[in-house]
Amino acid sequence: MVPTIDGKLHHFTNAGLYDGLFTLYNAETHTLWNHVTGEAEYGPLVGRTLGPPGNELQMNAKRALDEDSSTQIAISDRIYFAGGHQLGTAGASGPAQGRGQGAANQGTTGPNPNAVMNGRFTPTLGKEDLRRPRMELGLGLWSANTRRYYPTTTTREYGGAFLDRLDGRTVLIYMDQASNTPAAVYVKSAHATTKDNDVLLDNGEVIRSGVLLDRAGKRLPMERPQQIFTRWYGFALTFPGTEIFGN
Amino acid sequence: MMFAAVAVGQVPVMPQLTNGPAKPGFDIMRFSPTAVGTFETFYVTQTESLKNALAHGRVAPDTRLLVINTAAGRLALITEQMVYHHIAQGRAGNKEWMATF
Repeated sequence: MVPTIDGKLHHFTNAGLYDGLFTLYNAETHTLWNHVTGEAEYGPLVGRTLGPPGNELQMNAKRALDEDSSTQIAISDRIYFAGGHQLGTAGASGPAQGRGQGAANQGTTGPNPNAVMNGRFTPTLGKEDLRRPRMELGLGLWSANTRRYYPTTTTREYGGAFLDRLDGRTVLIYMDQASNTPAAVYVKSAHATTKDNDVLLDNGEVIRSGVLLDRAGKRLPMERPQQIFTRWYGFALTFPGTEIFGN
Repeated sequence: MMFAAVAVGQVPVMPQLTNGPAKPGFDIMRFSPTAVGTFETFYVTQTESLKNALAHGRVAPDTRLLVINTAAGRLALITEQMVYHHIAQGRAGNKEWMATF
């Protein structure tokens, strides 16, 4: 997302909940913004967007380095845990931490699939789409013409890798085993399978350690559709009427 | 140290909202406000190589990250910290960026 409006930098904070999701607010214009799409939802800048949203991919440090060894990291002073050690200085430690629903939702290997929604969130929900369980995890894709949700359970049922079509292009949906996270990337292939931790494409290409390689082992650029690893309620309320893969 | 600083001085105050307008379908009555500053935005002023952070134990191989593309390349944020901050903002390659979680 881009925090500039008419070329001027604005400063954003978490101002509350709507549809069970935190809401962006900037004091410069007193506007509420959707943190997934970047759209202004309430206030004088309704109609504007902090776009394009850009992808925010979840993975672990090993996978991030596999994909790009030049990756930089920014670490705040907030307490966190790494390698069994507590690091950082600011804030309380422990499961409470005053961090709300987000902390309760996170496990050491990713979001907790059995999390229960905090009672403060439920009054902010709109009319829920009951086709899937509220707190289910999945991968949501959206483009100019399509909104589609891939339940993680379905992705696993399909063997952890399969192909789909998105606005006329072939997209690979797969589970990254190292980070236990679903992801999507555009490919030119007709079939995908998994072997050990690799995703094999029938054109000879392979995704290994998060990197797309051609049949000679040469690294290829990865073009990804707009995506978010999310809970069902958040995606369904952000994109009402979304398609569900496998339904 | 290579730790980037979190902005200070974000005193909690309730968001000052106007009387609309609202995007079609947005119901302000369902908005549950939180005092601005309760969750401090992470203003990124410094970064270091992830490889270096791993070598020095500031992250572990299994540390969960949120990875974005900036104009200067890929940038990782620690998911556990972003659960608190929710928002990170910075500038790289002469372009502003913002990540949310």
